[in-house]
Amino acid sequence: MSSEYILEMRNISKQYGENAVLTDVTLNVRPGEIHALLGENGAGKSTLMNVLFGMPVIHSTGGFQGEVLVDGESTHIASPHAALDKGIGMVHQEFMLLDGFTITENIKLNREITTPSIVSRVFGKNLETLDMKAMRKDARKALDSVGMQGLDEFMPVAGMAVGHKQFIEIAREIDKTGIRLLVFDEPTAVLTESEAEQLIGVMKNIAQSGIAIIFITHRLDEVIQATDSVTILRDGKLVESKQTKDTNIIELAELMIGKKGEAMVDLPERTSPLTDTFAMSIKDLHVDMAGEEVQDVSIDIRKGEIFGIGGLAGQGKIGIPNGIMGLYEATGDVKLFGEPLELNNAGSALKKGLAMVSEDRRGVGLLLDQSIEDNIVFNAMQVNGEYLTGLKPIFTQKNGREIRKHAKRMIEELDIRCTSSVQHAGTLSGGNQQKVCIARALTMNPKFLFVSEPTRGIDIGAKKLVLETLVKLNRQQGMTVVMVSSELLELQSICDRIAIVSEGKVVDILSPHASGADFGLAMSGIKPTKEGADV
Amino acid sequence: MIKSIAARIVACVIAVIAVALIGMGVFGTSQRTSPQGAALIENMRNHALVNATTGEGAVDSFVSAAQQRARAETKGQGMDAMKKAVAAAEAEVRASMSNMKVDLDGLDTAPLSTATDALIAARKDYSNAEEAAMQAYVQDMIEKGEVEGSAAPADQAEQAPVAVDGAGEAGMSDLEMPSQSDEPKVDMSGFTATPEMDKMQGIVNERFEDVSAALVSIQPLLDRDAMAQLEGAINQLVYQPGDRFETEYDRYVEAGGESAIPNDLMTARIIRYGDDLITVGIGLIILALLVLFYRKIVNAMGFPRMIIGGFFILLCIVAILYDLSIADLLSNTIVRMGMNSIMVLAMVPGIQSGISLNLGLPIGIVGGLLGGLLCIELGYSGLPGFVFAILVGIVIAAVLGYLYGLLLNRLKGSEMAVTTYVGFSIVSLMCIVWLVMPFNSLVLRWPMGGGLRQTVSLEPAFQFILDRFLAFKIGGITIPTGLLLFMGLCCFLMWLFTRSKTGVAMQAVGNNPRFAEATGISVDKMRIIGTMLSTILGAVGILVYSQSFGFIQLYTHPRTLGLVAASAILIGGATTGRARISQVLIGTFLFQGVLTLGMPVANALVPGSTIAETMRILISNGIILYALTKSGGDSRA
Repeated sequence: MSSEYILEMRNISKQYGENAVLTDVTLNVRPGEIHALLGENGAGKSTLMNVLFGMPVIHSTGGFQGEVLVDGESTHIASPHAALDKGIGMVHQEFMLLDGFTITENIKLNREITTPSIVSRVFGKNLETLDMKAMRKDARKALDSVGMQGLDEFMPVAGMAVGHKQFIEIAREIDKTGIRLLVFDEPTAVLTESEAEQLIGVMKNIAQSGIAIIFITHRLDEVIQATDSVTILRDGKLVESKQTKDTNIIELAELMIGKKGEAMVDLPERTSPLTDTFAMSIKDLHVDMAGEEVQDVSIDIRKGEIFGIGGLAGQGKIGIPNGIMGLYEATGDVKLFGEPLELNNAGSALKKGLAMVSEDRRGVGLLLDQSIEDNIVFNAMQVNGEYLTGLKPIFTQKNGREIRKHAKRMIEELDIRCTSSVQHAGTLSGGNQQKVCIARALTMNPKFLFVSEPTRGIDIGAKKLVLETLVKLNRQQGMTVVMVSSELLELQSICDRIAIVSEGKVVDILSPHASGADFGLAMSGIKPTKEGADV
Repeated sequence: MIKSIAARIVACVIAVIAVALIGMGVFGTSQRTSPQGAALIENMRNHALVNATTGEGAVDSFVSAAQQRARAETKGQGMDAMKKAVAAAEAEVRASMSNMKVDLDGLDTAPLSTATDALIAARKDYSNAEEAAMQAYVQDMIEKGEVEGSAAPADQAEQAPVAVDGAGEAGMSDLEMPSQSDEPKVDMSGFTATPEMDKMQGIVNERFEDVSAALVSIQPLLDRDAMAQLEGAINQLVYQPGDRFETEYDRYVEAGGESAIPNDLMTARIIRYGDDLITVGIGLIILALLVLFYRKIVNAMGFPRMIIGGFFILLCIVAILYDLSIADLLSNTIVRMGMNSIMVLAMVPGIQSGISLNLGLPIGIVGGLLGGLLCIELGYSGLPGFVFAILVGIVIAAVLGYLYGLLLNRLKGSEMAVTTYVGFSIVSLMCIVWLVMPFNSLVLRWPMGGGLRQTVSLEPAFQFILDRFLAFKIGGITIPTGLLLFMGLCCFLMWLFTRSKTGVAMQAVGNNPRFAEATGISVDKMRIIGTMLSTILGAVGILVYSQSFGFIQLYTHPRTLGLVAASAILIGGATTGRARISQVLIGTFLFQGVLTLGMPVANALVPGSTIAETMRILISNGIILYALTKSGGDSRA
């Protein structure tokens, strides 16, 4: 090795338009070490890796500033293929495997070992015969090195356990010759505990053979357990880079979350203090929502409070409102103001006075091809039969005048920037679309409002307005609000209590004034004890 | 910016040319009745007359007269002698006629002109009298009940299957409209000249004598015999019923009259083609406007509409230039638009409820056809029959549509393929069913054997019931008021539905099923409602279509109707995910308009060929192909 570091990324900055996602980040990885890259969602981990792999998304948005050195040499990595040539491999979070192919074929895909044949001599290299024997031997070796001795190398990938697929993915990367650096993107997220342990063992083996590993994760205990050094990002900035042995789990959590920032909105005092009457009691809620499964959640939400649900992406926080609103299959007991709520029935949930602003604006939240005013009154019209004239209920007609009047009021109140109330919802900006969604929920005059990721993908001004609107509704009308958000700062700004969800379960319910360490630990699934964390 | 300036310059140039053409055209047409125009025509007429008596044509007639005489004289003297005599006669006549050329310029043509004018007036009177007499005769015969009107459509019905078969293979059999002339046919063989006509004929003969005298004074070689020979030709030359400046001009040109006015040729031609100049000028002005407001028009109507609309206007202009009856063509377009519109409207609920283009429209069509057949079988007719057929059609279509909707709900995501397949299958299935249908009416059955006819006349039931209702003519264009009212009614009802609570929910389902589900709307139910509505409209649509067409067409005919309807709405600007009622009307008009005008224009451009049939297939399928490329829709700005 000519250099101390196999990979040096110096002063990397990257902007998407006006939005700086990486500012002056430096990452140094030594040969043969496991280096953890730690950060919340949106801290800039993925962007940094995209820069490393020369992904098209980086180049098409104006490139980046800074320097990448591989083995001490300044290099320009133009494409993922170029990265591979430099010996940098990636184990993907989503499996990039062909289901109908065997393990061997998947491992050797596009790097097949071939022998010349008569046909290939005439028509060229692409028609050479596959040397199955050699390929099989290579596959076997790779599988063995990831601890998958029991797996037949000619098994088709389809129908295999998720854990096995993950290991095949790793085996494929290891099989590539000249690999010097492997990036693991949240590999343990989909694994069971024993599989995760096995994986960490494999990683250590790989590292010992001299291949450096960048380990992207948000599980703090795994960081402590497996890695040699750690780099922590927050809001696109480098927070700290240190040896793992010099730190502990609480410090890491604190560094990842940071100190509580300035409140984003002013919180007026409540006129009357919160009582212990519950607006909603959730017991043993299970929701079958792919990627956001909820397993056994029980929460009581007090009447008139703003309740926050936080946690990392993919842990199940979004599943809670979606399950209760009947958008996804759910089981459990939910009581709304003391009355049992029928699950898996979107219509009845809405009728009971629940409303939800969905996180999936363009998918579930809006009729993109229809006008703003039609979007706003849609639920009220369909569920409550409002804004209709004619001989109800058989012959009905939209009440154009009422609809327009109401839409105009909503547009004014929520400051929806549009040319007119008949503009198509699909042509609005993200923030204004979100406001239309909120307007539709409010048109239902709900007693209980779910807002799911209300600030995702909207600019800072719109964010503030959305949060202020929620506070206003809560304080002036006494509406109970449950806000689900990945952004802890937002939750801390307006919530009375914040539940942190990890792996489909509520880890802890914290006060917004709790320390960053508490939040950080809860997010990685560790419930803090009175004395501190169970390090 | 540069582009818009260039567009403006181009538009200005085109507009200037157009204005010049229109100016010339207006001048030309206004000159037709002026003294100058009359003088030109008179000059040409005299020349043509002299030409007719002395020119090539006249020589030939003299030759043939002489030949005939020679033949008669040498009869029975053998072939050789006859040939010789005939050749000799011809040579003699040609020699005597060779110095008959007359220089008109040096002659006083006033007597000829006066005599000719008088002859024309007399001929005019005669033909007016003849027409009046004939009309009176027809009226008389109708009152007596000797009318053959009912026989004609029956003939057509027998012939129609053959035609339909051929066209059906080509893809679209509906394109040849049977003639809708409702004039009763009266046998004119019993008609004889009235005494008044005889009197008129006498005057005509007298006037012809005058003209003969005038001609003889110009050309002394002419004798009575020759004049008698030429009487028919001269009469034809100077006057024909319904004469206008253009027809007279064309006739004299053919008779060599143009050489009479070598100095005024340009003016004469401007006068003759004045109306064409105006038409081209108007076309150019439209073109200039298109260039000038290109952006705005494209934004307002979308590029495809502009292209096809432009093509339609071009066809109109070419039709006028070729003196095709534009009024008839437009009447046809309107009727076709009306008769197809309901089936196009049937696409709307399908698209809005998210099953995309309902190419399975033949399911509804079958329902409508059954309604129509039952109506005939049970002997209902007129308005009650039509209403009965529609009601039966709706009931059958509703049931079929419900089942069809269930099927589509099981196959979400691949509706286009499923609807196409279902559409073709039901047509094939019904081919068998039509053969075994136990109907008894002789109008429906083949005269021998079992099964239904390919083409069933609606004459006894509800032929043209909507087309004729309150129909009126305006500027030569027949407006089928009832048909248009019915179309408007259906569109209005559809519009009301889209604004109802169910309609709004249905559109949400088509627009975003997950959104609708989140509001507790049953996606499957709404899709079934959409499918049923589409199918029902298909049933009503085919009945409206059939009453306009005059016949019910069974077997393979409904196969392509779904595709035609889908194309029309796509051309109107709808996409597989979005449709409005205005797009139904625009699309149907453009699609049918281009088809209706395309064929006769193609025929006029390349006369005497089978190009019309080829063009018909090319145009109709080309439009469909073009429409399908637009199924994704234009990007919404």
